[in-house]
Amino acid sequence: MQRGNIFDYKNYLYFKLAVILILLGFAAYLMFEPAVGYYGGSWLGYGLGTLSAIMVFWMAWYGIRKRRYRGSGATQGWLSAHIYLGTALTVLVTLHSGFHFGFNIHTLAYGMLLIVVISGFFGNYTYMIYPRLMTENMGEDNLDGLLLRIAEADKLARQIALLMPDDINNTVARACRETSIGIGLLEQLRGFQSDCPSAMAVEQLALMGHDLAVEHRKLYRDLYSIMVRRETLVRRARQDLMYRARLGFWLYFHVPFSIALLVAMVAHVVAVFFYW
Amino acid sequence: MIQCLLIKVSYNARGLPVRSYRTMTAEEMTIGRGAECTIHLPDPRIAMHHAVIKRLDDGQPYLVSVNGELNIDGSIRQAIPLTHGTQVMIGPYQLKVEPAPPDVNLAVSLVLANRLPDDFQDLKSRTHEPLQGAFVFKRRLSIWMAAFIMLFFLVLPIAQSLIPQLHSAMTQLPFGFDRVWSPGHVSNAHLHFSAQCSNCHQTLTRKVADQACISCHRDTTPHIVDKALQQRVFKTTRLTLGGVRCAECHREHKAPHPLARQDDGMCVKCHGKIKAIDANTKLPDIHDFDRDHPGFKLSFSTGDAAKTVERIPQTDTARLVEKTGLKFPHSQHFGKVQGPNGIWDVRELSCTNCHRQEGKEMRFKAVSFQRDCQSCHASKLEVGHAANPLRLPHGAEQNVMNALKVNAPKQLAHYSEILKTDGCAYCHEIEGTKKGDSLPWRVVPLNINQDWFSKAHFNHASHRTQKCQSCHNVEQSETSADVAMPDRKSCLRCHSGNSPKAKRIASGCMSCHSFHSHPVQSERLAESLK
Repeated sequence: MQRGNIFDYKNYLYFKLAVILILLGFAAYLMFEPAVGYYGGSWLGYGLGTLSAIMVFWMAWYGIRKRRYRGSGATQGWLSAHIYLGTALTVLVTLHSGFHFGFNIHTLAYGMLLIVVISGFFGNYTYMIYPRLMTENMGEDNLDGLLLRIAEADKLARQIALLMPDDINNTVARACRETSIGIGLLEQLRGFQSDCPSAMAVEQLALMGHDLAVEHRKLYRDLYSIMVRRETLVRRARQDLMYRARLGFWLYFHVPFSIALLVAMVAHVVAVFFYW
Repeated sequence: MIQCLLIKVSYNARGLPVRSYRTMTAEEMTIGRGAECTIHLPDPRIAMHHAVIKRLDDGQPYLVSVNGELNIDGSIRQAIPLTHGTQVMIGPYQLKVEPAPPDVNLAVSLVLANRLPDDFQDLKSRTHEPLQGAFVFKRRLSIWMAAFIMLFFLVLPIAQSLIPQLHSAMTQLPFGFDRVWSPGHVSNAHLHFSAQCSNCHQTLTRKVADQACISCHRDTTPHIVDKALQQRVFKTTRLTLGGVRCAECHREHKAPHPLARQDDGMCVKCHGKIKAIDANTKLPDIHDFDRDHPGFKLSFSTGDAAKTVERIPQTDTARLVEKTGLKFPHSQHFGKVQGPNGIWDVRELSCTNCHRQEGKEMRFKAVSFQRDCQSCHASKLEVGHAANPLRLPHGAEQNVMNALKVNAPKQLAHYSEILKTDGCAYCHEIEGTKKGDSLPWRVVPLNINQDWFSKAHFNHASHRTQKCQSCHNVEQSETSADVAMPDRKSCLRCHSGNSPKAKRIASGCMSCHSFHSHPVQSERLAESLK
């Protein structure tokens, strides 16, 4: 059996810690209601806020810690704590807010935190789902292997098509010439290209096969099966690129917004104690 | 017929051109991918029957397009005359008309100018890395967002506070930069000047000082009437007491939550251990109305001066004697009573027959003879024969005496005696006069207490669903000396302390008491702060 992943690290140590934190937070929240209603400036609010701020800095430190190959504890453990305590942090910060929101720096900082956490959840999800799907998709291959096989199919298809009528030859040549994989961000995330020349070539070839001269028919069958195989390969390559793009895309939000969160949090604390 | 020398140029492994020569003789020479073509060019970019070399009507050899494109100097042509030096692109091949040797009419060279690229490298160049430029994008987004937040939520608000010129310029605008720091809605009362934070937050990093409040609230009175004690108690900013500033109880940025705190926390902070605040105080420690609030004290105005007020505990029943100057048994004015017109005249009296309510808080109008007494007791101001009585006015003794002097001068002394013993004296206390007074006797001036609970406020209106007798026990009262004010126990029947109890309403300090002292008794808070 695989020895522990980030979720059940040390027998769910950080999960338990997060649950305890959340329960303590809720208990304190329910027991000490300030006379003027829940808000961040009560003693409970300051307590929750300080704890949350420390945790945010600690979460951010993970970004530095994971790039170091020395240091305290396993990176796996750090990530496990990062995930579970980050979830608990969201609850504590919500209690800290006392459910008061408005158009101000305080709610901005909260919103940034939510974006960071939600993108983190998505990242979590991708790491749970996509590695397995990637293996299913690629099997023993890697992307370069796929490309090599596509290139071989190209060469073969073109050789056969040289002997075929112009329209078939052009279609095949165009498919070989113009097929590209993962042009833009959107194609990479969607995992397919709506006007893919390879797929279009297969469609067109299917129509062109009807009125062929007798001597071309066998060649046509070979060509068609090559092109279909080729299109499957192209699709798998795109799929692989899609998984890799999705595995990294959440960081587009997670990282910049956590930087923004740090700045917003500092501004939030400064604002509170400047106009104390 | 065309006799053509075809020179095919290819490149060997060392990159040097290799020319192979072939002479052909034909009417037409077809060029194409097809195996049957005279000039066979096996390349997918060439059409099956791409072009043909033939003589046209003018007898000159032309290159004529069939199914493919012919490209000369970037333009696509249908027919190109093959004169010396002509260079034509047939797909990827370059055809050039060379100087013809004497035995042929035409010499052309063909060279594959654009080779097919290597399939794998080509495909690889068209395969993009996932999330290209992610690092740059993330770094750029981080910097922009951080800079935006820092500028608008940190630098500009601070700059506005620190740079006086910017600060004064921003006060002209509806909002300051520091508006984004506001943690919540400002109460309606402060809304019109709340756009400028500095109106209240006068010193950076300092809590809002009382001076900021006092600049508008000049009439606010302090908590303690004694000025020295007020200063001593409230200037102490001990951490345990939270430093009693206005803002400790009046919490702003909490709308729609009320501006003033309604709980007892701040009251109990001092009154729970009152000796720690003022060792000489006679006040007891109080935490909760239900638990340890002492019995009520009633304010009696005693002595001659109307302002002399004595506070007598309700337990001290011996001293709870009201000297109003009236003789009034409540017990005879309640329920079914005998009217003045014979035994069949029975009237039903209730409290409100005489105690008429007044105002929103249901205070009561003073009882008036004309309105409340006369309908039954008119005969007490009638003297003389019953069939034709002399009706005297209710009012100052002098007016009554004057009426007697005018209407019955002969019986003045007789009637005066009747009034002294029965008429006026039926309701009023009568006192003799000193020598030299113009009147033989006078009615004792009335001294009716208006405010029994001078340290608390009570709203009759909010208790109007209750019967008067449930608090004021007057049915058995035989004399007007009785005091019928409810005690703490009767409040506790419906009210509890800080927390609600079964069928009892939670009632904090603020339910009955005000923090700021009565304005008449006290100086302004502004003066005590100086």
